[in-house]
Amino acid sequence: MTRWARITAFIIVLQTLSLDALGELRFPPPEFESGYRFPQTTSPAARSAVYEYVDAAVLLATLLLATYLILKRRSRRAVYALMIFALLYFGFWRDGCICPIGAIQNVTLTVFDSGYAIPISAGIFFVLPLVFTLFVGRTFCGAVCPLGAIQDAVLLHPVAVPRWLESGLRLGAYTYLGTAVLFAAIGNSFLICRYDPFIGFFRLTGNWNVLIIGTALLLIGLFIGRPYCRFLCPYGVLLRQMSRLSKWRVTITPNECIKCRLCEGACPFGAIREPTGDWPQGEYKIAKRRLALFLLLLPILVVSGGWGGYTLKERLARVHPKVRTAERVYLEETGKVEGTTNASKAFRATGRTSEELYQEATAIRGRFALGGALLGGFIGLVVAGKLVALSVQRRRSDYEADRAGCFACGRCYQYCPKERERWNKSKEVVAGR
Amino acid sequence: MTQATKQTRTHDSDVRYRTARNTAAVGAVFAAVFTALLTANLIGSGVLGPWRENRLAAMKLRVQKEPANQELVAQIRQLDLKIRRDRFWRLDFARKATFMLLGSVVVLLVVGGIAGKMRKALPRPQHQPDMGQMQMEEAKRARLAVAGALAVLVIGGLLVAMSGWVRFIQAEDSGPAFATVDEMRQQWPRFRGPGGAGISAYANIPTQWNGKTGEGIAWKSKTPLPGRNSPVVWKDRVFLSGADPNHRQVYCFDAATGQLLWTGDVPTVPLPKGTELKVMEDTGYAPSTVATDGRRLYAIFPAGDAAGFDFQGRRLWHRNLGLPDNSYGYASSLETYEKLVLIQYDQGDGKEGKSRFVALDGRTGKITWEAKRETPNSWTTPIVVDVAGRPQLITVAKPFIISYNPAHGAELWRAECVGGDVAPSPIYAGGLVIAVEPYSQVVAVKPTGQGNVTKTHVAWRMEDSGPDICSPVSDGKYVYTLESGGLLLCCNVEDGKKLYEMDLKEECRASPSIVGDKLYLLDMKGIMHIAQVGPEYKEIARCELGEECFASPAFADGRMYLRGAENLYCIGKAP
Repeated sequence: MTRWARITAFIIVLQTLSLDALGELRFPPPEFESGYRFPQTTSPAARSAVYEYVDAAVLLATLLLATYLILKRRSRRAVYALMIFALLYFGFWRDGCICPIGAIQNVTLTVFDSGYAIPISAGIFFVLPLVFTLFVGRTFCGAVCPLGAIQDAVLLHPVAVPRWLESGLRLGAYTYLGTAVLFAAIGNSFLICRYDPFIGFFRLTGNWNVLIIGTALLLIGLFIGRPYCRFLCPYGVLLRQMSRLSKWRVTITPNECIKCRLCEGACPFGAIREPTGDWPQGEYKIAKRRLALFLLLLPILVVSGGWGGYTLKERLARVHPKVRTAERVYLEETGKVEGTTNASKAFRATGRTSEELYQEATAIRGRFALGGALLGGFIGLVVAGKLVALSVQRRRSDYEADRAGCFACGRCYQYCPKERERWNKSKEVVAGR
Repeated sequence: MTQATKQTRTHDSDVRYRTARNTAAVGAVFAAVFTALLTANLIGSGVLGPWRENRLAAMKLRVQKEPANQELVAQIRQLDLKIRRDRFWRLDFARKATFMLLGSVVVLLVVGGIAGKMRKALPRPQHQPDMGQMQMEEAKRARLAVAGALAVLVIGGLLVAMSGWVRFIQAEDSGPAFATVDEMRQQWPRFRGPGGAGISAYANIPTQWNGKTGEGIAWKSKTPLPGRNSPVVWKDRVFLSGADPNHRQVYCFDAATGQLLWTGDVPTVPLPKGTELKVMEDTGYAPSTVATDGRRLYAIFPAGDAAGFDFQGRRLWHRNLGLPDNSYGYASSLETYEKLVLIQYDQGDGKEGKSRFVALDGRTGKITWEAKRETPNSWTTPIVVDVAGRPQLITVAKPFIISYNPAHGAELWRAECVGGDVAPSPIYAGGLVIAVEPYSQVVAVKPTGQGNVTKTHVAWRMEDSGPDICSPVSDGKYVYTLESGGLLLCCNVEDGKKLYEMDLKEECRASPSIVGDKLYLLDMKGIMHIAQVGPEYKEIARCELGEECFASPAFADGRMYLRGAENLYCIGKAP
């Protein structure tokens, strides 16, 4: 079977995987003439709280094991096996919930809403991967995250994304993080969960739009390694910063780099950094001026971003269901739309006045004024920060895994002759025993 | 290593590769088969399902016309069962096929991946470029990419900014808060006009028309829903309300053409369990006349639903005051004072503390002030009058005439002097507040006291008349009362001395009005009796509308608006 035939077949299969979702149509209960009593509707019992701790324990165990396999054992196969386990457990068995990515919103809501108590499992899921990353790099991404795992599993024919392009695309993740935090804090909306692209696959059913997004990401993921992780994942933004500070992390070579360049194309995620060279003569002066310009630009971008976010307050506020209901009620009451929606009917059944609803909606818009300004300012800061970072010369003498971008998948080990040497020696030691 | 060993290894490798490749192919074939089956299943349920369901719906409609057709009933049951079985079967099949598809994909991916690795080429590093130059170029492109991404975000932001959003027209945005007193005097802003006096500011009102022939009728427009309330006029607009058991609406007509400019719906809240909305046929579901402060329009309906609209028909607020406990159905009309909407909300027997007077902020519908009342249910409309430069809000309900400060609801004085189920509204004329006790008396009180003025400020009582529905009218010299049986009585304002009685011999529901020196008396048949104002009855004209009338007329410059049972009429010259 040729590679392209496999890819084509896989695309068709992936698209049709989601067709099952359409089968979940509802229809009215049977019309019985007499004598029949409808059975009492029952709800499944809530999941036992103990499983929350089980999930947290499994997370801790997999993180510990991943750290051992990645840093000590240095085995891609073992990491892959653990990744598949995580995909099955956290993805298909636990239906992709709870996950650290979504836990960002729980933590945000805890900060902004005094009436909300974060579930302990959500807190653990948020903190543990960050703590591990702070010490050992992104082992969570490499072997434990089910979202990363499903993308890693479908990566058939990696195509390198130019590093410059990746720098631009990564802005998407920062924007997504900022927006998700804003919406969770004051929008009463868990954006990350609502648009989790892979949860439909884990649950074998889901919202049609999200299934399309998920399918599209998996199709892209056939060629571009982990597109969601690299360009969209809001938790990845936090992990990147933690990983920069990590004391221990993935190294391509177990001891010394001999600059054989065999590992150059090993990483499908473009996270291997080659040794740096000297800049051409005369470039340093230009670089200094550029750096100064970008440093000056920083406050301008922050302020203009903040202003831009502020002006979008009414539009951003529409994410809040109360604002949407208020707008709908207003349109209905002023005769600009015909008919009613479930939301407007439900509101009227409360007996509250539409004026009260408008006032609440207006207050929410007011909160979005500040929130939008902060979001815009944050994006401006990130852009300016990136421009500054891209204007500074780096110094590297060896081939290294990028501190922030390395997913710790362990693919690069086997490309290093020194690693092979170590592996052969250890086999000899085992054989000698 | 010998040549033979090498050949054996190569052969083994080929066998493993072919095995992996063929297994992957089998996985792909399975995946394709299950994909096809799932697609067929989906098409089947998407096409066959609706077709059968439509058939079932058609059969159900048929069985409503042929309830005795047992064969059809059996067919419906059979088809219903078939549809349900088919749906559950398809769901079950889809689930199983999805799992099989998933398994096939896993085999395809895993074994295909292994096969791919077997043929993977070893890395061959190419010529290494100048790293410094390359990295510098790369950083330059990266900066452009970041700038490009920023541009994309900005464009995205602009697109979001271009999307619409709804600006809630807050009352604060809808112009000056209220019209001046002088403006109000030129219009007909409430039941019986400014101050509830029933006096036209214009003397040039027609005295000749005929609704049957169309003579003198500027226009006639159908009112969408019935109502016994009276029209209200503000410049180029005529307002009134209508309702049935399910709908409550206010209407705005073009004063010049009679065109219905807009209809405003007033929602209601579900009634409390065990309660029902009680209304009499005489009052209906829209008995209360709307009111305007010149900036906004206000309406109230018998279930306690009050609402405010701007003049473009946008509802600014809605407030339910609670289902009133009213034996004939709530029917008091609204009054305004500056930015306040004044609602006399009497109910119950007066001992339960249910009655209250409510002043809402016309801009928001929020309660500005509220006064408890010990009065039982009543049907009168309050008036705000100027007494020696001081505004007074006068209310009448058994057994009191009570005056409040309309700005904050403080009680000024009260007189215990009326009884019965009071419906006629009070007037202020000749320096006296004149109220009616149905079937009993007309009473006049000097509004200059403080506290309980029953013993000190009742100017006179006239016991020869006691209208049960129509409110009195006065030119400041004479007071006219009209009983629902058609008996007109005239007395002096000064001392209540009866001057004459005249039986119109027609049932009357509309209150009398004064236009210049003429008295306008509308009976239920729609005949307007026009008489001279004075100590003697002197009929000037009778004009027929040709439609039953229950509402009182509204007057504007050169025109009169009459609400018939089904139509709104503009009599006179259209503006």
